[in-house]
Order: sequence, then C-alpha cells, then structure tokens
Amino acid sequence: MVETKKINRAAAKRKQEIKYPITWAAIKRQRQLIYMSVPLLAYIILFAYVPVWGWTMAFQDFKPNLAFAQQTWVGFKHFVFLFTDDNFLRVLRNTLGMSIINLVLGFVTAIGLALLLNEIKNMYWKRTVQTVSYLPHFLSWIIVTGIVATSLASDGIVNDVLMWLGLINEPIVWLSEGKYFWGVVGASHVWKEVGWNTIIYLAAMSSIDPSLYEAADIDGANRYQKMRFVTIPGIKATIIILLIMSVGHLLEAGFEVQYLLGNGLVVDWSETIDIFVLKYGIAQGNYSLATAGGIFKTVVSITLLLGANWIAKRMGEERLL
Amino acid sequence: MSAKKTSLSAVSASATVQNKSGINRIEPILFNTFNTLFMVILVVVTLYPFLNTIVVSFNAGNDTIRGGLYLWPREWTLQNYRAVFVSGTIYDAFWVSVARTVLATLLNLFLTTMLAYTLSRREYIFRKQITLVFVLTMYFNAGLIPGYFLMKDLHLLNSFWVYVIPSMISAFNMIVIRTYIGTIPESLVESARIDGAGEFKIFWSIIFPLCKPVLATIALFVAVGSWNSWFDAFLYTSSRQELSTLQYELMKLLSSSMNANSNPAVANGGGVTQDTVSSMVTPISIRAAVTIVASVPILVVYPFMQKYFVVGLNVGSVKE
Amino acid sequence: MGEKKISLFRMSLLMLLAFSVVLAGCSSNKGSTGSSGEGNSVDGTEPFEISVYIGEAGQQPTPDNKVYKKIKDELGASFKFEFLAGESNQKLGVMIAGSDYPDMMTGNTKLVSAGAYIPLEDLIEQHAPNLKKHYAKYWNMMKDPSDGHIYILPNYGAYNGEVTSSWYSGPAFWIQKAVLAEFGYPKVKTLDEYFDLIEKYKEKYPTIDGSPTIGFEILNNDWRTWGLLNPPQHLIGHPNDGGVVVNDGKAEIFADKDYAKRYYQKLNEINAKGLLDKEAFTQNYDQYMAKISSGTVLGMFDQHWSFQAAEDSLTTQKKLERTYVGLPVVFDESTRDHYRDRPALNVNNGFGISVNAKNPERIIKLLDRLMEEDWQKTLSWGFEGEDYIVNEEGRFMKTQEQRDKFTDATWKLANKADSLYRFAPKMEGYFSDGNATDGSAQPEEYRASLKPYDVEFLDKYGYDSYVDFFSAPPENPVYYPAWSVDLVEGSEAKVANTKMTDLSTKFLPRVILGSAADFDKTWNEYVSEMGKINVKAYEDRINEVLQWRIETWTVK
Repeated sequence: MVETKKINRAAAKRKQEIKYPITWAAIKRQRQLIYMSVPLLAYIILFAYVPVWGWTMAFQDFKPNLAFAQQTWVGFKHFVFLFTDDNFLRVLRNTLGMSIINLVLGFVTAIGLALLLNEIKNMYWKRTVQTVSYLPHFLSWIIVTGIVATSLASDGIVNDVLMWLGLINEPIVWLSEGKYFWGVVGASHVWKEVGWNTIIYLAAMSSIDPSLYEAADIDGANRYQKMRFVTIPGIKATIIILLIMSVGHLLEAGFEVQYLLGNGLVVDWSETIDIFVLKYGIAQGNYSLATAGGIFKTVVSITLLLGANWIAKRMGEERLL
Repeated sequence: MSAKKTSLSAVSASATVQNKSGINRIEPILFNTFNTLFMVILVVVTLYPFLNTIVVSFNAGNDTIRGGLYLWPREWTLQNYRAVFVSGTIYDAFWVSVARTVLATLLNLFLTTMLAYTLSRREYIFRKQITLVFVLTMYFNAGLIPGYFLMKDLHLLNSFWVYVIPSMISAFNMIVIRTYIGTIPESLVESARIDGAGEFKIFWSIIFPLCKPVLATIALFVAVGSWNSWFDAFLYTSSRQELSTLQYELMKLLSSSMNANSNPAVANGGGVTQDTVSSMVTPISIRAAVTIVASVPILVVYPFMQKYFVVGLNVGSVKE
Repeated sequence: MGEKKISLFRMSLLMLLAFSVVLAGCSSNKGSTGSSGEGNSVDGTEPFEISVYIGEAGQQPTPDNKVYKKIKDELGASFKFEFLAGESNQKLGVMIAGSDYPDMMTGNTKLVSAGAYIPLEDLIEQHAPNLKKHYAKYWNMMKDPSDGHIYILPNYGAYNGEVTSSWYSGPAFWIQKAVLAEFGYPKVKTLDEYFDLIEKYKEKYPTIDGSPTIGFEILNNDWRTWGLLNPPQHLIGHPNDGGVVVNDGKAEIFADKDYAKRYYQKLNEINAKGLLDKEAFTQNYDQYMAKISSGTVLGMFDQHWSFQAAEDSLTTQKKLERTYVGLPVVFDESTRDHYRDRPALNVNNGFGISVNAKNPERIIKLLDRLMEEDWQKTLSWGFEGEDYIVNEEGRFMKTQEQRDKFTDATWKLANKADSLYRFAPKMEGYFSDGNATDGSAQPEEYRASLKPYDVEFLDKYGYDSYVDFFSAPPENPVYYPAWSVDLVEGSEAKVANTKMTDLSTKFLPRVILGSAADFDKTWNEYVSEMGKINVKAYEDRINEVLQWRIETWTVK
C-alpha cells in the first residue's frame, strides 16, 4: 500500500517535470489542436469576458437611462455600504455555514447512493430507482419548500413520526428556531438533489474497466473491499475535480430556499449574501450595489477555487488547473 | 495506464482471502435486502412529492386551498390544465423549446467534447492557459445590463439564436468530459498517431465514440438546462410572442403574486374589485399543473438515454 | 460498428427535425408581422396594432376573445400584450438601458424618472375630449411632482358620482360570522371587546370540525407584511397611510409609538392565553390560506382581497358561518373608525404612452373612444344578454351562471378584455342611466347575489351590506394616501423603509411570543434598534411630497 502511494507520487512528479515549452515549432506541430480550441477561446472571451466592462457599474451610481459617460462616479461607496452593514458578517457566516453543510452532505450522500445503486444487479430495478430518485430535481423550490413547510408543521409528518417513535412529547415548531435552520436547508437540498448528483458518479463508474472487478473477485475481495479499492479509486478523479469546483461555489448558497423558508424568527440564521444583495440591490433598483456584491463574490470564489486546486496539487491528487 | 496497473496490484496485495465460505453465502442476501429496503424508502420519499404534485394538479383549486391532499384527488378536475393551455400560446412555445433544446444539445456535445479533448492532451502547449480562462467563467457574471448590451450589439435580441449561440460551451461540462477522457488509455491515442492519424481524426473517430456514458450525461444536463431556461426569453425575446419558450409561458402563469410587492398600490388594495381578486394569486393547483407540464417531456425522454451508461463499457480493444 | 452507424443516423434525423422546426418558426414569424391587413377602422384609415407592456403577470387572451375582436372590427385597433414574468426590476433595468419600449406601458415610477413616457396633457387637450372631462377634477393630481407633466392616465379613482361599493376590499379586524351569531349579534367597537368574543368562543368550542380552534391569526410572510405592521394606525382612528400616521399634514412613523406598544402588548397577552396561532410567524401564505379555508380561524387582521380565495373555498364547502365580517376595531369607544376610505386617485398606475410609439394621437383617440358609455358598458359588464341581463326597470343584473363566469379566470381570457380594462381609464360610479359601472356596486345585484345565510345575518344588524359595519368615510385630506408617495429608487428613504420592515419582522414576533415579564425589555430593545435607522430620511421624503401635494392638488 505504502509503496503504491510512493509510486503514484513519483509518477506524478515525473509527469509534472516534463515541460512543454511554447515554441513556433510546437505551434506548427500542434496546429490541429490549436484549430480545435483557439476559436472556442475567442468565443468564450466574447461572451463571458467582454461584458465585464459592466463591473464599472459598481463604482458608479448607475442609472439605466443615462449613457455611460453621464453616470456619476462614487468610488467604493457601495462596497462600503456592503461591508459596514451590521448584518454583513452575519450574512456571510450564514452563507458559508449553509454552503459547507450542503457541500459535505451533498458529496457524501451522492457518492454513497451511487455506490449502492452500483450494487443493484437487476437492470430494471436499477433504472427505476435512478429515474425516480432524481424526480425532485424537476420540482421548483417553490413547490419543494411548500412540501417542506407542510412536513415540518405542528401537525406535519416529521412531528408525527418523532412523537410516534417517542423521541419527543410535543410537536416542535421547526421553523421558529434558528439553530435548526441550517439543518433543514441541508436536508432539503439532499432530498432534492441527491438523485441528480449521482448521475455523474454513475457515469464515471461505468468507465471502470470490468477486468479490475474480475481480478478483485479472483483475489477473493468482498463487496466493501471492491468498493474501496476498485470503485472509489476509479472515480476518484471525478470526485476531486467536482470537489474543487464546488469549493469555488461556496458563496453560492443561493437564496430561493432561504428566502422561501425564512421568517422573522430565524432571520439571523437564514439570510444569505444573495438575499441581502437582492434586497438592497436589484429590489431597490440599485444595480450598482448588485454589481458590487457580484464582484465581491467572484473575488472570494476564485480565491477559494485556486486554494482548493493548490491543495489538491500538494497532495499529489488530480488537479483542475 | 500505469495508474490502472497499480490499482490492480493494490487490490491483490491487500485483499484478505475470504476464510469461511459461509459468510460469502449470507452476506449478499443481507446486503441486498438492506439495499432493496433502502431503495424502496428512497423511491417513496422522492416519488411522493411528485405524485402529490400530480394529484394537486388534478384537484379543484378551491378545494386544494384547504390542504390535506395526499395521494388521491378529492375533487377531480381538468380545470387547472385548461387554464394552462387556454390561451393557446403553449403549443408554439413547446416547439420552440424543442428546437432550441435539440440544437443546443447537439452543438454543445460536439464543441465541448472537442475542446475537452484538446485540453486533455498533456502535451498541448496552451493547455493550462485555456483551461484557466474557461474555468474562471464559472465564477463570475458580468451582470444583466452589460450582457444585454452585448446581445443587442450582436443583433441577437428578439432572435431565436439568442437561445443557442451564447451558451454553446459550458466550462463545467467541459471539465467533466475532460476528466472522463483522462480515463481512456493513452495507448489508444498513441497507436492511432503511429498510424498517422491527425488530432481531429483521433478525436472524431476514437475518442468521441468512447465517451458515450459521459456524453449521455452531459446531453442530459444540457438538454434539461436548455429546456428549463426562461430567463433568456424574459430578458431578450419577450416582445416577440412567437419566440416564447414553454418554460417562459409557464413562468408567466406562476408569477401572479410575486410582483405585487413592487407596486405599493396593489399591496394597499388599490383598484382591487371582487372580480379582479382572483387574478391576484396563482392557486397552488395551477402551479402544480404548470410543474407537470414543464417536466413531463424531459422525464419521458431521459429513460431512453439511460441505457447508454448504465451498462458497463468496454474501454478499449487494447489489452494491457 | 453497426451501433455507430445507427447513432449517426439518429443524430442526423434529429438535426433535420430541429432545422425544419426552426425554418418553420422563422417563416411563420414573417407571416405574422404583416397581419394587420384586414378589418375596417373607425375613421377609414389603416387598422393598427398597439404593442403593450404590462408590468404584472398575466396570460395572453385567447385569439378569439370576443371583446378584442369587437374592438378590432369596429375601431381597427388590435393589441399585442407582453406580460411580466419574473423580477420587475431586472426587466425594467434592461428595458431602460436599451431604450427598448413598446407603444404603451403600464405606469411605473421608474419608467417615469427614466423619461420613457411622453407628456400627455397636450394630446388630451387636442384629441381626447372624453378623457379631459373624465379627469377634469383630478387634472393637477395627475401631474408628476418633478416636472409637472402628465405621463400616466390613472386607471382607478376618478369617480363620477358617489362611491358605493358593497364589497369591502380593504383592511379590518375580521371575525367569523359564527362567533357574532353565537353571542347574539353584538356591536363590536373596541379591541378588548373583539378579543373577549374570540376568547369566549374558543373556550366554548376548542375544536371546529375536528381540528383545534385558532383564536387569532397573523400573516407576515414575504411582502405581505400589513397583517402584522398596519393595525396600530387604524386602532387610533387613522386610515391606511402605509407606514406613517399623518396629523395636520405632517407624517411620522408609528411603529415605535406608545399606541403601537399597546397593541403588541395586547397580542402578547392573548398569546399567553393560547389564543394566537403558534405557527403564525413561521407559516407561509399557502399554509395561512389553508387554515382559513378549514374554518378553524376565528379572527385575523388582514385585507379582504388577500384572503378572498380562502373565503370562496369556505363558501364552496357550504360553511357560510365560517366566513368573515370585517369589524372596524379601535382602542377606545370614543374614537371614530376610519378604515373605510374614499378611494383616492390611483396615481402612477394606468397606461402611459412611450417615447417609441409611432402613433400617439391614434392611441389617445382610441382610449378616448373607449371612454364612451357604450364601450364602458361592454368592457365592464360585457355583452348584453350574454354576460348580463336588463330587467324591466332597466337595471343591469346577472344570473347566477353569469356571476360564476365572472370569477372564472379561464372564461375571462376568452370573453373579457381584462388586461386592457384593468389599466385603462374607466368610468367609476354610475352610468347616465343610473346603473352602476360594476356589478358589486349595483345594490340590487349585490343583494341578489347574497346567500340566504348572509341576508339573514345582515338583517339581524339591520344592514344592507357588510360595508355598513364601517363608518362612512369622511372626505379625504388633499394629500391622501401617504402610501402612494414614491420613495425614490436607491434613496436613503427607500433603504430606511426596507430596514424598518426587516427590523419589525425580526423583533415583533419575539415581542409577542415572549413572556409578559420580558415584554418591556424586548420592546425597548426594538425601539432603540429602530432609532439607529435613518427614519428621518423616510419621514422627510414623505413630508416633502405631502407638502407638494397640498400645494399643487388643492387648486382643483
């Protein structure tokens, strides 16, 4: 085991040591690859990067009816508003807290479910379960939060089951306690997305060479060992890549769930950055503040992304960049 | 390639030999029972909200308000679906959605995979730079208004092509495909090169067909994304009814009460009469009907795509 | 190998299908834009199409809608509607930035300040005598505070004649008819009397139809905040001015005043007695409506239109005794209630003509023509004989079937021009033949539409309609109502307003649900937090506009 790890790292390092310098000769040699990719690069620059001139809006008091030259410049006024608001830190904390919970729960449940689904031998049952499991993905949050709210009500199913099991004596008003809120959001996310999230992992699992499983059988490996030594390593690259990308999205806890399930009693725990920016930005016609919020999120996201990528590199794992 | 070899030896080196054959006989039964039970619970828990939505969509709005509907409609009606289909705009919008979904899926699959292939070649000199440029796009958004101006300048406003052209490549999908291509043995590519094949030919004839599982996945993602999108119709084509998409039409039905808050007159009862009251809120039952109409087409199509990656694949004809 | 061939084949089939659909779509586009080549028009000129942006959600009328067809046949005008289906600010931002306006747009202060509309006063003077007459009394009130031009034609509030609607749409303390019936149809005036009745009824009937009785319900969810925030102003005898109380033309917020404290203290007390729904502050709108529809809620403070759908459900379930009566409750016997108000001019709402309109004269002439009585009758009541009947005395009435159709949204898409009518200038009050302009204001029609239970109920009080529970509304002060003051986008005032609402939403539940001992402490915390918000900016902005209204609107 230990030897294999060392072999891995050494091989990886060897790969990394090979540098591919950019020379005219190289360009000529790889021109097909260049034709296949550089036009697409130009495309994405046009559609994603060119509009970024709009970030200047964050430094103005933007009024949509005035031309660019007529806007008033206010420097960092909107950023100051954002950062000095009493609620800002709280809102940041909520966003990160819910994101991390969603991230961890999301990964664990999706991979776990994918592994279990992989063990199903009967094709029709497997396909049925898989199809049904991602049905909630198609329901909008408006409907899902309606169901969640009904389930968590005093006469809802959650309280009924808990009382029947004898775990509580009186119904709990779940949505009135801030401390439960993050859990409720996490559970709702899992319910809605676990089936959908397994799709990628199942696709990755299907690319694992079956002869590896055969070899494991020959060596007498049991189910769990096969999972541990064949399946999971087989999809490890996928997992790591998705993990790195998700870390970059840590500020995207979203707003629909929190907005729909939140209320005055839990607002200190439910308000996220997106809700805050929406309330004081777009909802007030303050496009500048909305843009400032967006810039802030981007800066943090890219920092997190690069950080996660670097950690993966240090650990000798598959990297994104 | 060498990674696969090492994991094979890892398996052999560390697998303990099963001692009693008795355990081997009971364990699958136990496990499968547990697994099946678990899956049944999963199915119930995930199917129920959907069934409930179907039930609500067939229940009279007046009655649905009371709540307490579970698995059977209390007051059966087709009225909700009538409300969805009544102005007739749904039918044309449906075809527009189909057209954009099919086009977007085909274009995306081809372009994204081609790009993913080039970025999977470790020797590609621009690999790092291009990957970075693409990956960063997932983390920023230039904003509504600049985006709008771009579409305007490109003459994509009020045109069908605004649904397809700006979203032909997604960085996320590209990364997923690139990762998958990474699991295809280099030896296949090398032997093709030795045979004199150019990069594009390698991509088209060898890699692309081998990517079926991930292509099916990405096709699903793109199709669902394209099918569900309404925001672009909202911003860019809303003044041309004939370009409306299915989701946008349905969205119009859903948002009756969402915008009242931007109009204080409404929130203070200005101009509300007994007749107009009913148009102030979208009943739950109509929301349910809208959901069903929106998701049924995709749900019907997807199971047919599933067979492409549920079955294991023979990665290559080259034996190690 | 065979597999590969099939999938290629399938793919090419799909591409063919896709392209053919796209081509079909493109060609039908060209076909439809040149459609206005049929029909005749009022003044012999070309028929024309008006593109309209409606800033609210709605559905397209059916292509065979009979009222639009009549307008097209007789006046040559057809409409192309675009409805809002998302966040208004996003759409408006993009429209304004791109100067992307259709011919007509519903009123919106953002569009006004962006200069999207053309001034209308000259157009009306020259081309629209009916509109001029209709708005004569209100001319000054229609002017925009910043530059004195008229940009929007208000759609409601320009009355001719006395206002007597029999259907009360506004705010009140509602109570189930069963409760009043149980205790002998008493007259209820004060807050204490109101809650006493509820308490007594709940004691007597702890469950209704098998579910626990809820004494009092409050909704505070999303933008529906009035249930929690508005009562104090009414309890001291003021009408709905939004977030302020106006005395002698000066406005101040009431959220932190002693009389507000008095109200919330009362709520704290009734919560201690178990009369308040435990889930009042965690429920969403659907759950609130579900509870009301189940008949278990004895009372709440709300606006009638907000829970009307739930009442309709109760009516369908034949639980008429569980429907509600609105009571104008106040603190003290001596205060005169002012819940019911005379509808004020609905400024900033209605239609405006955009700067991109090619034919503003034709549009204004069309609206002018539609103001005439024959069209108004068609737009409001419908087609005679089909949608309403005329009895021997010449009064307009409806059969029960016609009444039902009027509340069926799907029927209306084919038979009424609601999208146009709701925002167009309209006659309100009475036609020249004495008939009311809308069904619910026609006394005998209203009476005929009442169920026997309600007729009996009203007789016990000696009233003609449920509106009689309220005192007759006094004349509106010139500047009324304060809630229609535009707090400029992105201004300090608007930010302060949002912060105040947020603060109230956060603290009031705690104030109410906490123990009696903690009440003062929590309330003081609330008031001090309120003090940190720039409330003055909010009050100043309102006072600024109120002053302007007093100066400009008094000259009638």
